[in-house]
Amino acid sequence: MERNLIRKSKVWSPEKIEEIQEKAQIGRYRIRGQATKRMDLPSFDDLVFTPAGLSRVPLEGYRERCDTKVVIGEGKVKRPLVLETPIMIAGMSFGAINAHSKKALGIAATRCGISTCTGDGGMHPIEREYSEKLVYQLLPSRYGLNPYDLKKADAVEIVVSQGAKPGTGGTLLGHKVSEEVAKMRDLPAGVDQRSPCRHPDWMGPDDLGVKVEQIREATDYEVPIFIKIGAGRVYDDVKLAAKVGVEAVVIDGMEGGTAASPEIQLDHTGIPTISAVVEAAQALYDIGMKHEVKLIIGGGISNGADAAKAIALGADVVYMGSAMLIALNCQRPIYIEDYHALGTEPGACHHCHTGKCPVGIATQDPELMARLDPTAAAERVENYINSITMEMQIFARSCGKSRVSDLDPTDLRSLTLVTSYITGVPLVGLGGKKPYFASLDHGSSFKDLLKV
Amino acid sequence: MESVKESIVIDCKSETVTSINQMIRDFAKNNIKEVIIENPLARHNLGVCITDPIHLIYNGDVGYYAVSLCDKVTATINGNCGWAVGENLMSGEIVVNGNAASSCAASLRGGIVVVKGEAGARAGISMKGGTLIIGGNTGYMTGFMMQKGKMIICGDAGKALGDSMYDGVIYVGGKIAELGNGTKVEEVSEEEKDEIKSLLDFYQIEPPPSFQKIVPNGLLHHFNKKEFRVWKEIL
Ligand SMILES: Cc1cc2nc3c(=O)[nH]c(=O)nc-3n(C[C@H](O)[C@H](O)[C@H](O)COP(=O)(O)O)c2cc1C
Ligand code: SF4
Repeated sequence: MERNLIRKSKVWSPEKIEEIQEKAQIGRYRIRGQATKRMDLPSFDDLVFTPAGLSRVPLEGYRERCDTKVVIGEGKVKRPLVLETPIMIAGMSFGAINAHSKKALGIAATRCGISTCTGDGGMHPIEREYSEKLVYQLLPSRYGLNPYDLKKADAVEIVVSQGAKPGTGGTLLGHKVSEEVAKMRDLPAGVDQRSPCRHPDWMGPDDLGVKVEQIREATDYEVPIFIKIGAGRVYDDVKLAAKVGVEAVVIDGMEGGTAASPEIQLDHTGIPTISAVVEAAQALYDIGMKHEVKLIIGGGISNGADAAKAIALGADVVYMGSAMLIALNCQRPIYIEDYHALGTEPGACHHCHTGKCPVGIATQDPELMARLDPTAAAERVENYINSITMEMQIFARSCGKSRVSDLDPTDLRSLTLVTSYITGVPLVGLGGKKPYFASLDHGSSFKDLLKV
Repeated sequence: MESVKESIVIDCKSETVTSINQMIRDFAKNNIKEVIIENPLARHNLGVCITDPIHLIYNGDVGYYAVSLCDKVTATINGNCGWAVGENLMSGEIVVNGNAASSCAASLRGGIVVVKGEAGARAGISMKGGTLIIGGNTGYMTGFMMQKGKMIICGDAGKALGDSMYDGVIYVGGKIAELGNGTKVEEVSEEEKDEIKSLLDFYQIEPPPSFQKIVPNGLLHHFNKKEFRVWKEIL
């Protein structure tokens, strides 16, 4: 008798069926938070470090220091940005997240000697109060931009695009546009906010040069200026950004997080962070500006291994958003019934766009916000940042480097052919050469075999 | 109160942009009433981030970002302007006795910007408050994503007028090449007519015989699958 086996199809997978049926209901593309859920992207996990042995000497842990400090804008601006460890908390708008989360991130960053960033939507007084080093974003929307806050910034980041949604503007669905958010953004409360994808007052790199000069005039040449670009045409974009004369270029890979993006764009636009860092570093080398312009890399960085590998491939600093939210409490298995009410569960949540964040981070609802204690959350983020710093130092020390910034591509080997091809890092096992038995085959004489 | 000093002249020929901006800031802090800027020579970024009250008179053409990121400043520009004159002005007044290139009064937040001549593309783009008056015609995408405020265009308006505007109002005296997505035309009330007339009289701009009023139609405020036609046009 014929047996009807239950077989799932790759072409018509349960996920695809669900997607089609949801779109058939809602009549538009799906919008969601978090990041791409693609499983097939090349990642930093495809690389391993090759620690010191006899050919290189590792550093002793205790007395032999391993420096982590990075300074952005040294010798170029009056107040360079000093980071005690090569990590920055990425811009996450007030609106996408709330003041409690901003406060917690600010406290943690200050204790660790690193910066936070306003994101879109203006500088919230709480984040200025709690962040010793605050980067002020200047976006196409110009929400909340004013000369007074500009003067209070420790760096200015001109955002061209984000890795999660390169080529489009921002989205904040109506239920997150509370009275306070609306006031800061000069919008009608409750409106489905879309923001422009092009800046209102400059168009191409030549105009951008004039814009950068304007910001320098406004900030009296005091603070560094960055340009942030979602990773797409990285090689050309980085060259153009560097030539504009900024102190740092931020490249946000396609794994970059968001509070709300079209899902189709999360999964099908931009290039993976590991490939973006290589293209960006190459672009800076090719125009002779690798040491002049700092390279900040974001998009899916989750631990000291990702961070150290990005640095070895040419980044100076890593830029982290989602992981910081996870350290705050995002995805924690508490208030599980509220995850279920959203149709999800801890570990799989991407519902930042709904404004109903079960753990009180991506929401402006006072009741939900009360679930996040900023003091306890700050301690978790501080611990997490410190753990990444220590992990980066493990790799640097074991590769015999007294500075994390001294890690370089020769400290790495690729586990996969694809990653080797993308990064130029040799495959494991080859050591860059042919194996000793490569000259032998079935026809080799017994004598030849004995020689090896 | 400290006494208010009169006028000081800066000749741009012999100064850098940075020193000009610094001088203006210092003069404003020291209660100088007026600075006359001679020979601006279409240089960019003249008059950036001035946040104490002062009156600036530019005798000649200016480049990009004249009187930008400013607050409480008044200015008269006796010449033409490059891109983004009055960008992000918080309060005050700018009168341009000439034409303005693209993006004049971009992200205007308060105060008033008056362009007596023509304005280029994207005039009043992303306006968040204040008033923009244009004596002549304006270009493509004027008032794009306007959030608040008022714009009075005495001449013709280019295509995509007020596209995706959230709020605010645009009055047009001449022809509209094409209305932007998410907008509609409304009747101009008598009260509004009087207000427009008094503003134009004040700035000595010849008013056109009548105005059309453009406001958001609200269809882009909330996604509605029944309005696919409107939503298809936006990113
Ligand atoms: C909740 C949330 C809000 C964000 N808001 C902004 C924003 O306002 N402006 C911006 O440039 N990027 C924004 N981003 C992107 C981050 O700045 C950063 O590029 C990204 O988070 C890096 O990737 P990661 O999340 O994998 O670390 C946001 C990201 C998240 C998760
Ligand atoms: S737990 Fe909150 S912050 Fe985390 S993904 Fe869900 S909604 Fe977003």
